[in-house]
Amino acid sequence: MVLERRIAFIHLNKNSVETTPISPDLRKKFLGGRGINMYLLSKCYSPDLDPLSPENPLIFGAGLLTGVLGFGSRMNISAKSPESGYLGDSNMGGDFGAELVKAGLGHLIIKGKSPKPIYILIRNGEVEIRDAQKLWGQDTIETQRIIRQELGDGKIQVASIGLAGENLVRFSAIRTGMKNSAGRTGMGAVMGSKNVKAVAVRGTLDITISDPKNYFKYYLEDINKLMETKWVQALGKYGTPLLFQYANAMGFLSIRNNQLTTIGDQGYALEAEALQPLSTGMLSCFGCPAHCRHRFSIKEGKYKRTKGEGPEYASIGSLGTKLGNIDLQNIIYAAHLCNRYGLDTISTGSYIAWALELFQRGIIDREMTEIPLNWGDGEAILQLIHQISKRRGFGNILAEGAFAKKIFGEASRDYLLDIKNFPIEMTDERLPKSFALGMATSTRGACHMRSRPSLDVLGLPKEVLKKIYGGPVSNRFSSYSGKGRMVWWHEIFNAVSDALGFCRFLTVFSSPHAPQYEQFSKLIALSTGLTFTSKELMIIGERIYTLERLMLVKDGITRKDDTLPKRYFEEPVPEGPAQGEIISRKGFNRMLDEYYRLHGWDKNGIPKMENLKRLGLQG
Amino acid sequence: MRIKVNKDRCSGCHLCEMVCSLFHLRIINTEKSAIRIRKDDLDTSLNTPMLCRQCKKMKCLNEEKGMGVQEKKRFIWNRTRAERCPFNALFVFGEEAFHCDLCGGDPQCVRFCTPGAIQVIK
Repeated sequence: MVLERRIAFIHLNKNSVETTPISPDLRKKFLGGRGINMYLLSKCYSPDLDPLSPENPLIFGAGLLTGVLGFGSRMNISAKSPESGYLGDSNMGGDFGAELVKAGLGHLIIKGKSPKPIYILIRNGEVEIRDAQKLWGQDTIETQRIIRQELGDGKIQVASIGLAGENLVRFSAIRTGMKNSAGRTGMGAVMGSKNVKAVAVRGTLDITISDPKNYFKYYLEDINKLMETKWVQALGKYGTPLLFQYANAMGFLSIRNNQLTTIGDQGYALEAEALQPLSTGMLSCFGCPAHCRHRFSIKEGKYKRTKGEGPEYASIGSLGTKLGNIDLQNIIYAAHLCNRYGLDTISTGSYIAWALELFQRGIIDREMTEIPLNWGDGEAILQLIHQISKRRGFGNILAEGAFAKKIFGEASRDYLLDIKNFPIEMTDERLPKSFALGMATSTRGACHMRSRPSLDVLGLPKEVLKKIYGGPVSNRFSSYSGKGRMVWWHEIFNAVSDALGFCRFLTVFSSPHAPQYEQFSKLIALSTGLTFTSKELMIIGERIYTLERLMLVKDGITRKDDTLPKRYFEEPVPEGPAQGEIISRKGFNRMLDEYYRLHGWDKNGIPKMENLKRLGLQG
Repeated sequence: MRIKVNKDRCSGCHLCEMVCSLFHLRIINTEKSAIRIRKDDLDTSLNTPMLCRQCKKMKCLNEEKGMGVQEKKRFIWNRTRAERCPFNALFVFGEEAFHCDLCGGDPQCVRFCTPGAIQVIK
């Protein structure tokens, strides 16, 4: 049944739905999830496509092995991005992807615009469009609750937008559960522009397995090995907040919009240990052995009676240190507020950080902002989150994201640390050169998750790195040497992993012992009967990544856009453990040359015809 | 032998449900498993794995005298028996109900439960 999943084309203008099988050829070329999403998106993508127009397709895609035994059970949501104006794509955990698969569907393409608010209900492959007038205005958690109550089924999985998506905030998310989000690149605004409040799904179909006995046995061996790694053990205990401590200690954290890169001992207040008293247990996404998600409950103080999930490291950095804010409870509350409104916590923090620095430098003032914008003012941050979501006052300007450059004026540009019109996250990449290159080349704008090349931080012997990457890679975090190769390798690997529905945390991310291509091919074969060698999987990853690049090339993206914020090239890190670190243009260009060469792209970053032919992407 | 539940530890991953259907029926369908995670993912309450408690006095078989020993070894039961269970620990899909047969003595769900929310008690 894995291979019998269908694609549903939902045309809101015509109020019609068609489902088609996924051809074996498409599966072989793109697997599923992000891979097939990109294939579908590329058919409609053009420079003229307005991201908030009915023509922009909103595509949901479950990974090939989502919903069965694998290394996670995730999905991707893709469209042209209203946040950057370029390629949009966001990966989401939780239980929604698995439920879609149980309902017999692998992908949804939603096109057009409904004249009034609706939600889409899918039950075992049957798609129904239902009225959502009374859901409009509800937050993302209430929306899920109301739909479950209305249909009398607590197992229905819902992906919804909140007020932010309804109000077309450019960085609004699509959300499921308490916290899981397709957060980045503004997919919530695309959904809002179509008057779609939510997609609800319930499935109870059998999933047949090619070789049940060996699949069972092999998977058990795999997860036993995985659970023995230090990385997964720590992740299961602390979740991603454990990374905060590390970034702060090394000096690659964003403080005050990257004016600093560490807060030293003040960081104790935000470390994983500091979260433990508020934590009320751990959670997993569907089918995940690692359980890295944490729940919290605030029992005392200003934010008492707040309960929810998180915060993740990305939110602690983005709504915390990046804004000079070290009030942990305020950060948790702010992240929870973003989740309810359906805002991406990373972009929200980044645009607020930009505004705070503009205020610090007198580029904007109270005439525009009304309230004073000072670093570390938690209450002002909360106020801005409300304003952005409701598009009120100054929040209406910030809701435009990077497009607010036009309103703030020329002097504001360099203080938004963005790449391809998409803001840098909770980190500072002047120290880790592989991360810096990965940010510059990511196909969705500044994003550490497209490549997430972090194995050079572990101080592994060079021979180990050479074996993994197929060529020399320096084991020094701050070295440029071999980092083009490293980013190239991880981009391809992560494209495969996303196409399968796997999680970064359970694959090669921070542990060289975690599953790789070899384990992927074995699981695919045992569950679906499809056979791929490691090399063939890698070619699929290249195909997906190059197809994404081709869409950007249509938009006019070239080498000039694969770059970093001016601050990274011109301002050395002023203090702390990474003091003096900067990106040299020469070192950066060397990495970029190596990277293009390995991808089979020319010096300008355009995929070469011979390579397109090899990947079957010509014409 | 029975399976003891420690709900403080359950992460709500549903691996046990998948594994149960895969082991017994050679398919994956979380609706066709003898263990079920009861959870409210929109709240912060604990997740609860639910499954047959292997009661000595089997109310589920009340009116089926002499069936106990033989039926305990069977996975597929029926709706009537499920409705008799005082703990609502038997799950119905269509007209079938799924009963924990302890996988013939080596419960597979326990092997896959990484947080240790379910364990075998002899």
